[in-house]
Amino acid sequence: MARHNLGTVVEFEFVRTVKKRRFWIATLAIPVLLAVVFGLVFLSSSATKNTASEQKNDRIPFSYTDASGLVNPAVAAALGGTVETDPATAVARVRDGRLQAFFAYPAHPATEPVRVYGADQGIFKNGAYTAVATQVLALSAEKAIGSPALSAAVQGNIQTDAATFRDGQESGGIGTLVPPLFFLVIFYVVIILLANQMLNSTLEEKENRVTEMILTTLNPTTLVVGKVISLFLVGLVQMLVFATPIAFGYTFFRDKLNLPAFDLSHLTFQFWPMLVGALLLVGGFVLFTGVLVGIGAVMPTAKEAGTVFGPMMALIFVPFYAVALVVSDPQALIVQIFTYFPLSAPVTAMLRNAFGSLSPAAAVIVIVELFGFGFLALRVAVYLFRYGSIEYSRKLSLRNAFSRKG
Amino acid sequence: MTSVTGSAGPLIHIKDFRMRFGDQTVIDDLSFDVMRGETFGFLGSNGSGKTTTIRALLGIYRPTAGTLHVGGRVFSDDYGARLGYLPEERGLYKKESVLDVMTYFGRLKGLAKPAARAFSLDYLDRVELAGKADTRLDKLSAGEQQKIQLGVTIMNDPELLILDEPTKGFDPVNRRLLMDLIEERKTAGATVMMVTHQMEEVERLCDRIVLLKDGRAEAYGTIDEVQNQYGGRTVRLRHTGRVPDSPLYRVITRETNYAELVLADDVDEADVLRSLVSAGVAVRGFTASKRSMEDIFIQVYGAAALDGKAA
Repeated sequence: MARHNLGTVVEFEFVRTVKKRRFWIATLAIPVLLAVVFGLVFLSSSATKNTASEQKNDRIPFSYTDASGLVNPAVAAALGGTVETDPATAVARVRDGRLQAFFAYPAHPATEPVRVYGADQGIFKNGAYTAVATQVLALSAEKAIGSPALSAAVQGNIQTDAATFRDGQESGGIGTLVPPLFFLVIFYVVIILLANQMLNSTLEEKENRVTEMILTTLNPTTLVVGKVISLFLVGLVQMLVFATPIAFGYTFFRDKLNLPAFDLSHLTFQFWPMLVGALLLVGGFVLFTGVLVGIGAVMPTAKEAGTVFGPMMALIFVPFYAVALVVSDPQALIVQIFTYFPLSAPVTAMLRNAFGSLSPAAAVIVIVELFGFGFLALRVAVYLFRYGSIEYSRKLSLRNAFSRKG
Repeated sequence: MTSVTGSAGPLIHIKDFRMRFGDQTVIDDLSFDVMRGETFGFLGSNGSGKTTTIRALLGIYRPTAGTLHVGGRVFSDDYGARLGYLPEERGLYKKESVLDVMTYFGRLKGLAKPAARAFSLDYLDRVELAGKADTRLDKLSAGEQQKIQLGVTIMNDPELLILDEPTKGFDPVNRRLLMDLIEERKTAGATVMMVTHQMEEVERLCDRIVLLKDGRAEAYGTIDEVQNQYGGRTVRLRHTGRVPDSPLYRVITRETNYAELVLADDVDEADVLRSLVSAGVAVRGFTASKRSMEDIFIQVYGAAALDGKAA
């Protein structure tokens, strides 16, 4: 009967969640919001990019002085420039509105600023002065070098393709780092989306006084496991909803949306880091689920549960305050503490796994720890639900709960 | 106390049950049986341990000591399909539709989904809520929610009904519905164990009872046996004039034109009537009967317990 009831619980919990209008409003709100933000950013960046691109080729009347001797008069003239002999007068003319712009190139442009003076045309159009002043110098330098390729090399506009080796094998570089980090992203998304539902999943039985009818019909383990599975399925639905428009847009409208063209062939999916990442993800999910369900079982209302919930959730973000240390010095004491303290372990270990600093022994310890504490937390959560939810309007005394005779 | 035996054997067997919460002993060596097919009254004042006993019987609490069996073994959720339990603290998933909730509980009790839906729709039709099948529970009136609660309790035609203060908070219509359902289940051979403070229901429905006081069984047996244990006979008297005190009886209710007398042992009812008439009481009505369960309840627990009518 237990297996039959597990399926019944999963179906009931899953269907009643996805049937609700507010679930879809909340779920669809995120991709819609992201689409709006990305759209605005795209339009804004396109406009800025176009403006900057156009501005540097603007032909505006300006005069200039050149203490460096680097400016090519022909280039300057082509962009609207004339040589100035009296800088102070030129500045005064700009101030009076008789001259649109004046650039004073210093003796050493690499270490000293080019002084740019211009008639105010608004915050965006004023950028044209700096763009033109820079362009004059860049084109003059390119002309002096006599080779666009050399000019690009001087500016550092070159591409590299690095290959590194470990133990005689080529290591994938950044391409090996990204895939295991997917698990970290999934972990954050799942916990952020589902934590509140995990916390409230058993509170509902308590607040609605359903506990006794449930406990006499159903094993509490079946109920809790059924709720966890249904929550996981709900999370999958949400992630699919989030990912679908992104995948659709990337596949069919990448150019129009100006999405960056990731070369997915550079990603290297290495077996062990991926396996460790997956196990850390599942272990972390089990642990957080057990702890959240346990909190829900002890607290009489969602409001009171929230007071404990906040600090606990902060623990999954704390490792990011030390992310630089996690990457650069994984043996540091604080990193070691974060790696092995159960509630901060999933994030820290997943980071270290991605960056290749989680040794096999450490990985095994953390995975065993997460699953061990996770299943222990789930067992305690079931026990607390069994005896906590019957307390209805009171907060369960843990001392009393655990002192009950078995 | 009466020893209970029967050819069918007990469906519920409780022996030497003790329950402690911290330093407090709530139940102390409680023993009784509920036979198959009988309706059993589990009576007691507020805080006497009735709900605790039921929760321990159904595995919600773990007993400190003793044996609590349902169907010959310790209760587990496997038996849930054959149990109809209406707890004192009751409720349903309020944000879900009536039909979804009823179907869910039907499936948990072992019915296939189509059977659970069919049962639910039939029941809703019977209690005139057919049009509310897709309505959220919290949109129903309190009385309508009570009907749904009763429907969930009797799903899958349980062989054992445990009803903890079943009429608590019920309006007269739902009280009548509950009584009809209990009668139906009794007729179908189900065993009913009920906690109630409605003594007229106890006299009308129950075959046997146990009275729990301070965690112990104060009385246990058939209604007749308990009535005999608590002094047998009473007289309901309608009269004019003052009823005098007498060694033949004890006055337990004294109103202007009405009195209830508990007769002393071996006193003949005719002697009492003669005594009253000779004392100048104009007797207009004289009904002798066994003591009511309400009188016994008041004697055991005091009038306040009956007024409280809470678990």
